[in-house]
Amino acid sequence: MNQTQTPVYNPALSGNPSSSNRAYPNGNPADPLNPVGAKNTDSVVPLHRTGEVTHDYRCDGPAPGTIGFRWIFGSIVAAKNTDPRVQVMQYNEDTYLMRENICVHWEGPFTYLLFGNKGALLIDTGATSNAEWYPLRKTVDGIIARWAKARGKTNVPLTVVMTSGEDAAQNQGLSQFVGRTHTRLAPKSLAEVKAFYKLESAWPAGTGKIDLGDRVIEVIPTPGSHRDGVSFYDPYCDILFTGDLIYPGKIQIGNDKDFVRSIERLKAWRESHPVKWILGGHVEMQFLPGKAYPRFYAYKPYERLLEMKPELIDDVLASAKLVVGKQMVLVRPDFQLLNGVSPDQKTLEFPAGVANINGPRAF
Amino acid sequence: MQLNRRAFVSLPVLSFIVPAAQAAFTDVAEAAVAPVTIDFKSRLPAAGTLPKRWICGSESAMDNTDPPTQVHWYNEHTVVLRQNKCYSYEAPFMMLYFGNERVLMVDQGFNQLRTDWPLRDTVDACISEWAKKHGRKAEDLELLLAFSHLHADHYAAQNEFVDRPNTRIMGLTHEEMVGFWGMTHYPEQRVTLDLGGREIWIWGSPGHVMSEFAYYDTYTQILYTGDMFYRGRCYISFWQPWFDSMTRLMKFLDEYPVTHVVGCHVEMGSRGEDYPYGVTWQPDEAPWQLTVAELRHAYEVAKTITQPGIYFTGGVYLCNQTRGTTTIDKNPYAYES
Repeated sequence: MNQTQTPVYNPALSGNPSSSNRAYPNGNPADPLNPVGAKNTDSVVPLHRTGEVTHDYRCDGPAPGTIGFRWIFGSIVAAKNTDPRVQVMQYNEDTYLMRENICVHWEGPFTYLLFGNKGALLIDTGATSNAEWYPLRKTVDGIIARWAKARGKTNVPLTVVMTSGEDAAQNQGLSQFVGRTHTRLAPKSLAEVKAFYKLESAWPAGTGKIDLGDRVIEVIPTPGSHRDGVSFYDPYCDILFTGDLIYPGKIQIGNDKDFVRSIERLKAWRESHPVKWILGGHVEMQFLPGKAYPRFYAYKPYERLLEMKPELIDDVLASAKLVVGKQMVLVRPDFQLLNGVSPDQKTLEFPAGVANINGPRAF
Repeated sequence: MQLNRRAFVSLPVLSFIVPAAQAAFTDVAEAAVAPVTIDFKSRLPAAGTLPKRWICGSESAMDNTDPPTQVHWYNEHTVVLRQNKCYSYEAPFMMLYFGNERVLMVDQGFNQLRTDWPLRDTVDACISEWAKKHGRKAEDLELLLAFSHLHADHYAAQNEFVDRPNTRIMGLTHEEMVGFWGMTHYPEQRVTLDLGGREIWIWGSPGHVMSEFAYYDTYTQILYTGDMFYRGRCYISFWQPWFDSMTRLMKFLDEYPVTHVVGCHVEMGSRGEDYPYGVTWQPDEAPWQLTVAELRHAYEVAKTITQPGIYFTGGVYLCNQTRGTTTIDKNPYAYES
């Protein structure tokens, strides 16, 4: 093999959005300075608004959004971490992704804040109740206040829901919202959750709705990782929020039969609805295929990205069918399935045809 | 005298004793106390204390305000150090043994950078404090940096000492480890390190890894068993060598008095609950030290073990050939439909 090749810079491979073959790190002078459509920015807020802004959430295809980057990944010495306690990422002007610092809690749960014309929805509440350590409420209040000001709204009612009320990594921050005005909190117990989504007679086959005002979030019961697991579908951004059911990490199956049925339900959902991304509640995989970080790590410099392509559901379903009734770990490039084993369980079995690379271990 | 490691190993330990004439030049202003040769051989075992509770991390790691290393003087010539759980989840223990001529440090923790975790500064402060108290010059005391076994959470901070004068550092291979102590018949051979009137006995105790030592301090009669036997999950990689090492310890217990058996970590709660691998908060830790009875009982349990698996002896978990970080934890959210 010829070893003397000079590497050629390929902007596409390097994540450079420039589509031409040449690299223009300082801008291409040949590009038009006033491209067509430049006046139509992505902003949903008019430049000179008069009164309250009502946004039209109907759109062809998914609403644009940005998510292409790595998350803050902790530090070697957790005690010396100086990163933000809640990292906020604006996906678009009505959708915010937030993550708890992994040096506050190793689970580093993701929480999502969505806005509609008549209110906001917070999906999941993180793993820490102490507002000094994990100021979720303060962060959410700040985003809502800024959003409300931009839209000329005086009252933005907030609904707080969870992908699982029993999950201690996602229900701890709920207490920070107790007593907040114009706020509706989802209950933690399964029976109350069913009533909350009006699914008493239709659990888990039916779907519920949360109307944020022209942006109706669908509630899909998806038990499997948790007895009371639910997923949320946002028809504006075409995102499925799956919590602990599907995420790039060590998925601990609570009940394998329920798990398969829920994945089947999501697969059917994907076939009948456009899905751009699946966003789970955590990231535990490394960017090396099949490799996950152990629990409790507060430094994960080689994390996989959060977002998952919808086609991954097929892989999850096929894998889930393989582990039903067995106590085992199944490794896939983007996730691992743990059925009936310790959360720390490892396996030497590695999927065929996948590069088996071990990353450096930092200390 | 120029000494390389080979010369150090081949020479009798006596030749390192600082000549009395040199000691006479000691600056009187610096030495607040006249240097008296400390007697490490009578009234044994030397008494000492251990903390009721060690510093054990915090619920939110980034809000931890404890010192990077907990320093505990067991008695005035023996220091126990422990890395903060929020600086490294391994939170290894380390020992400093002072003698009339030199200081032995066993284990150096799990962080490489002095800027991240200033172990070097902590150790230097301990040595200065001891030297001042006992009329020595800190720079005259040779520091021996050894470790219990060949795992990074017990030698990572060696780096911080590479430019320290008058310091010998154990190498990171099995050959260099046994060579450092001048052993030719590892693991059975027991060698004696003379710190200047204070003897440390060292022999092999493979099993967790093949390259591991047990350290017995004749002054405090503390037996330091590294990761081969400690309050937590003793990961037994190789059963037969480990069992043989246990048998060797039993023979030792029959012949010599032992006050405490101590290891490198604590991974258990006071009610025997297992703190899983990697946690940075262990709110209710069991004591670090084990009794001789607990060690003997573990040996009795070990005699009955024929299969790989995790066995709880009451004092420790024996993890026979289980994979590195496997714990007994269960998925708390598992349910029947």
